[in-house]
Amino acid sequence: MLEIKNLHASVDGKEILRGINLTVNAGEVHAIMGPNGAGKSTLSNVLAGRDGYEITQGSVTYKGEDLLDLAAEERAQRGVFLAFQYPVEIPGVSNIYLLKAALNAVRKHQGLDDLDAIDFLTLVRSKLELVKMDEAFLHRGVNEGFSGGEKKRNEILQMALLEPSLAILDETDSGLDIDALKTVSEGVNALRSAERSIVMITHYQRLLDYIVPDFVHVLSEGQIVKSGDKELAKELEKTGYSWVKEGA
Amino acid sequence: MKGLTELATPFTSITTTLGQDVAWLKSLRLKALAQFNSQGLPAKKQEDWKYTSLWALSQQEFTHEAKPSAVSLEQCDQLASLSDAYRVVIVDGVFSDVLSSLDGLKEGLTINALSSEQGLEKAQPHIGQQIDITKAGFNALNTLLMNDGVVITVDSGVDIKKSIEVLVINTGETANLATHLRNVIVMADNSKATIIEHYVGLTDEVSLTNVVTEAVLATNAELNHYKLQQESSNAFHIATLAAKQGSKSQWKTNNISLGAKLARNDIHTQLLGEQSHVVMDGLYLSNNEQHVDNHTRIDHTVPNTTSEELYKGVLDDNSHAVFNGKVIVHKDAQKTDANQQNQNLLISRGCEIDTKPEMEIYADDVKCAHGSTVGQINEDHLFFLRARGLDEVSARSLLTYAFAVDVLNRIPSEEIRQAFSTVIEQRLPQGGL
Repeated sequence: MLEIKNLHASVDGKEILRGINLTVNAGEVHAIMGPNGAGKSTLSNVLAGRDGYEITQGSVTYKGEDLLDLAAEERAQRGVFLAFQYPVEIPGVSNIYLLKAALNAVRKHQGLDDLDAIDFLTLVRSKLELVKMDEAFLHRGVNEGFSGGEKKRNEILQMALLEPSLAILDETDSGLDIDALKTVSEGVNALRSAERSIVMITHYQRLLDYIVPDFVHVLSEGQIVKSGDKELAKELEKTGYSWVKEGA
Repeated sequence: MKGLTELATPFTSITTTLGQDVAWLKSLRLKALAQFNSQGLPAKKQEDWKYTSLWALSQQEFTHEAKPSAVSLEQCDQLASLSDAYRVVIVDGVFSDVLSSLDGLKEGLTINALSSEQGLEKAQPHIGQQIDITKAGFNALNTLLMNDGVVITVDSGVDIKKSIEVLVINTGETANLATHLRNVIVMADNSKATIIEHYVGLTDEVSLTNVVTEAVLATNAELNHYKLQQESSNAFHIATLAAKQGSKSQWKTNNISLGAKLARNDIHTQLLGEQSHVVMDGLYLSNNEQHVDNHTRIDHTVPNTTSEELYKGVLDDNSHAVFNGKVIVHKDAQKTDANQQNQNLLISRGCEIDTKPEMEIYADDVKCAHGSTVGQINEDHLFFLRARGLDEVSARSLLTYAFAVDVLNRIPSEEIRQAFSTVIEQRLPQGGL
């Protein structure tokens, strides 16, 4: 599904990623943990195709294609989904319009026709249920006046609708109380499947109690310094990141 | 100013026009003539015209004689914003009985051509009362040369549920045609109406529309008045819209400026009665070499009056926009509540906005706020939409639309909101304007 080889990336001439190697196979859930400044957000932004990052070395292959060669929208159309750490509020663009435009962009790439209004609404309603969102949210501006938890649920709603092959969840647990965390996690767990890979990027181990990963990697100073299974996350919880740095 | 002054200076040139034997009109025109001859058209050295040059206009030679043109009813149906409305059609400066649909007017509503006897009679008490011809050259010129327009009156207590659309068509059949329309709207106490002034150009021929609309709102009258300007790319559109508002009256206006090479709007209301309220909104989308200038003024003259003003602009290419909003809170106007905002989105590097929100406050117990912003497409919003699969052009287009369409939200009528949204959407085919 995803193969990252010796990835180096800089922002304004400052090297943030210093040789990342990571292979994610179909159906796997990987957690990437690390302290502030380790390069977690840079990694998710580089994978999603945000401007402003210079790739100085290495490669990223997604389903056999050079991912770095594709524009952000082309990645999305091919099934790469980034759930944002800070979902933006866009007044004036209704949620339902966004969902429809996004779904149709993906469908168009797959050679499918736009869904008609009735089929679309039926589909959206079933996804709303998954993240326990009221239909009224559809008609509000994208994330406009949403609480932190509502914004994150809205991200998962988009993910559920778009059914990506590769979902990158950037600090999805940040700013969530325990109930919202449960709802969001249930939504994500429902989307786990043998064809879908998930990369969770998180500072805290807490999320991993709800979405149990197959693999855990520790990112520090732009490199993956340790990999293991879910037990590694628990170890980190006990000892903190300073231990990782010394160990590295 | 060759073309215009030649026509304006000799009074003989208008002796054949409307109301030549009507004494009051003649005396009004004489005043306007004296005024126009002494001042001429505004120059850039005047503060109100600092950012708008009339040089290109002054290089034209305009005619007032329109050649016959053939506009069909079907064409009017296509051009109009509203399908189910009373419709007034004015073609190349002349009120058309044939194309207008004014059957079954509600009792208490009159709609007449200014050029008709009834129209002139109904207009007489109000014409020239809302504007000051000593201040703006175009108002004097309009007064001097006005030949037609529409006079709408709504009687006391009457609620005209059906909207009225005044469709002003410039066919372009006559090169360099200048028209000077004068519209008068009289709202008696407790009356209610919705009126759209809609200007369209059919070709790229040079033209000048110089229109003055005067509105009077008596006690507790409610007027929703919208303007949609879609003139051709070589048109000069100069418009004054002026109102006087009695107590508890409400005027909601939305001025949407999309067309013309040069568009200038002067919009003014005087809140003369307590608890009167005005919503003075506007939207301008400009591209290529367009120049659009909106000057607004709200006078709070008595206690307990309120005003809200939101003007938004989207500028592309080498276009230039001017916003000058003046809110004046007079000495006795305690408890005034006034809010004025101007927000601009710049799409290109070549465009220019001059924005000047102004408040003059002479009362001490008031709540007033104003502000202006100039910005670009938010990069985070753009990336978010792209990360959801929208290509960059569509994403930019969507964000631009979202910014602009916000101004329409205060229009109470769903049908009108929808009609205007569609027009704006069409103006944003793929990202640009």
